[in-house]
Amino acid sequence: MAKQNKKLYALTGKKKYSFNLPLTETIKIGKRQYKIVIKEDGRYGTYILWKNRRYPVEIILSRQNKFEILFNYVCYSFTVETPFSLKRKQYLNREKGPAEEEKILAPMPGKILEVLVRQGDEINRGDPLLILEAMKMQNEINCPVNGIVKSINVNPEMNVNKDDLMIELSIIH
Amino acid sequence: MKIKNILIANRGEIAVRIISTAKKMGITTSVIKTRTEPAAMYLAHADKIYDDTENISEIPVFLDIERIIRIALEIGADAIHPGYGFLAENPYFAQKCADNKIIFIGPSPDSIYKMGNKIIARKIALASRIPMTIGSEGKVPTEKEAIRVAQKIGYPVIIKAASGGGGRGMRIVRSEEEMPKMFRMASNEADKTFSDHSVFIEKYIENPKHIEFQVLGDKKGNIIHLWERECSVQRKHQKLLEEAPSSALNDKTRKEMGEIAVKIASAVGYFSAGTVEFLFDSKGNYYFMEMNTRIQVEHPVTELITGIDLVEEQIRIAEGKELRYRQEDIKFRGWAIECRINAEDVQAGFSPAPGKIEQIIMPSGENIRVDTGVQAGSVIAANYDSMIAKLIIYGKNRKEALANCKQALDKVWIKGTKTTLPFFRMLIRNPRFLDGSITTPFIENEISSYYVYSEYEEMLAAWLATWLFIDENLDEGNLKIDIDEARNISPWLLNKRINRH
Repeated sequence: MAKQNKKLYALTGKKKYSFNLPLTETIKIGKRQYKIVIKEDGRYGTYILWKNRRYPVEIILSRQNKFEILFNYVCYSFTVETPFSLKRKQYLNREKGPAEEEKILAPMPGKILEVLVRQGDEINRGDPLLILEAMKMQNEINCPVNGIVKSINVNPEMNVNKDDLMIELSIIH
Repeated sequence: MKIKNILIANRGEIAVRIISTAKKMGITTSVIKTRTEPAAMYLAHADKIYDDTENISEIPVFLDIERIIRIALEIGADAIHPGYGFLAENPYFAQKCADNKIIFIGPSPDSIYKMGNKIIARKIALASRIPMTIGSEGKVPTEKEAIRVAQKIGYPVIIKAASGGGGRGMRIVRSEEEMPKMFRMASNEADKTFSDHSVFIEKYIENPKHIEFQVLGDKKGNIIHLWERECSVQRKHQKLLEEAPSSALNDKTRKEMGEIAVKIASAVGYFSAGTVEFLFDSKGNYYFMEMNTRIQVEHPVTELITGIDLVEEQIRIAEGKELRYRQEDIKFRGWAIECRINAEDVQAGFSPAPGKIEQIIMPSGENIRVDTGVQAGSVIAANYDSMIAKLIIYGKNRKEALANCKQALDKVWIKGTKTTLPFFRMLIRNPRFLDGSITTPFIENEISSYYVYSEYEEMLAAWLATWLFIDENLDEGNLKIDIDEARNISPWLLNKRINRH
């Protein structure tokens, strides 16, 4: 096997971090190698020691190759890919072309108060789609794209959980 | 009349806060143990615990007037401290206490009622010639009427709930076109939150600062103020950080506003601790907004700069004692900042992130005060507010307080839930916040990211994700995935694997 295959990539959507295998407990920055240590104790829980500082870490999600890591209180999402799976993914993305659909998911748990669009409506970016009540606050959920309402999966008075599908849109390019 | 046994009709940090003052004064405290939080920290601080875990009602006991009164009578409490939120600003509750010969540690039912109803409060302020924004004369019943009023006072306007507070039932309207929708939303929200759909309309002040004055009054009619707090760091009308004093006021304006705060409190015969809120515009005009008739979440910043324990004063006043300070005795020195560290996901629009606090280590030291009702093992329940701790920092001046705050924020260690820490770590580095010039829309409109992005931290997180991926795809020390030479894994990983099983 070619040498470049001994790698794994962690992708954020914007960035690609590559790590040589076997994975070492060091990260190279410029010319220097810095040691990373994962530790766990009763006082601090799990943390990473890096450059003489303790960073709190928590694993929010770990499902197949998808990871959400809370690092120093900030959440980062990754998919981990091998060189082969990355190539396949890139190929599939090219085949698919630009996105055709936009799914509107509930940003937080709450109750639907009003649905302001109907199936088949042509709507513009920024138009209000529905009103979601959460923590006694009414939140207007606005349309992130220009498109046509393909389906509405919620009704007024309905309770939704975080990430529940509320509305599907066909994007107009 | 000396108070001997206070029932605290509240939970969390404010219950702990009240208990600490009561102890200092030699007063016994009782708290209520609920099904939702049977192991809460405040329980361990109190002298007596009333076990209400059998109560399976959906309504929290802290909102149940009849039940609280019954508990108070049963345990022989001679006073009730309502804290903030829940029943703190419910005039019927204050009246019920009086009817049952229990001292309500707060103002009179009449003051609570008048100030709680924003339309009545506006009328009182108007009669006392308090500076106010122009607005509707009373409640605005219909969309049509709303349009008529807005035409008269000019857009932008703000619709507010008559029984409102805390930003609920409030909508800014910039054009006639938006009015029907916004009116409906405000009215619905008001109805849901306060069971009163009535709203009124005021001229909307663009880019104001939020400045509020702490007042204290006794039952003999003496009223003083304890200077101001600035709470311009808000998101959706929810305060995130407060400081005292405000960098926007000069001595003359400060004195003037303080006198007005006392005047409006006097107009309703106010006693106990209260807060008079103002909007302060870029030209230095100020407008009375509302009065909160309770102890506020942000009261510690006033305590740090004045040296006065506000809960102690509340209790003394409730006992009928005269104020022991005159206005000229109230000096302030230094600067105080409070960060509300909440269990919220700042990357998901500050949505609540309830969960179990695994570890919590708060900084301590001369210039640091921490008010919390949470310890390792505590659960931040979805039923209540998302407060974890208030980090309150002191400095000789604003610059020093900000520097101390930055240091202290880096020392906070909380594991188990997402927190608002990334927000404060971002804010404490923001030049506009540092120069003290921000106004209330700043956080929502001018901040592009609610946390500081660090490439190094992202890289370390990426390394950890990769490490987890390898760890989960190991089988008998081999990577199961499609990589050659996978046998060549580090002995350290292997060790980890062996230790685990």
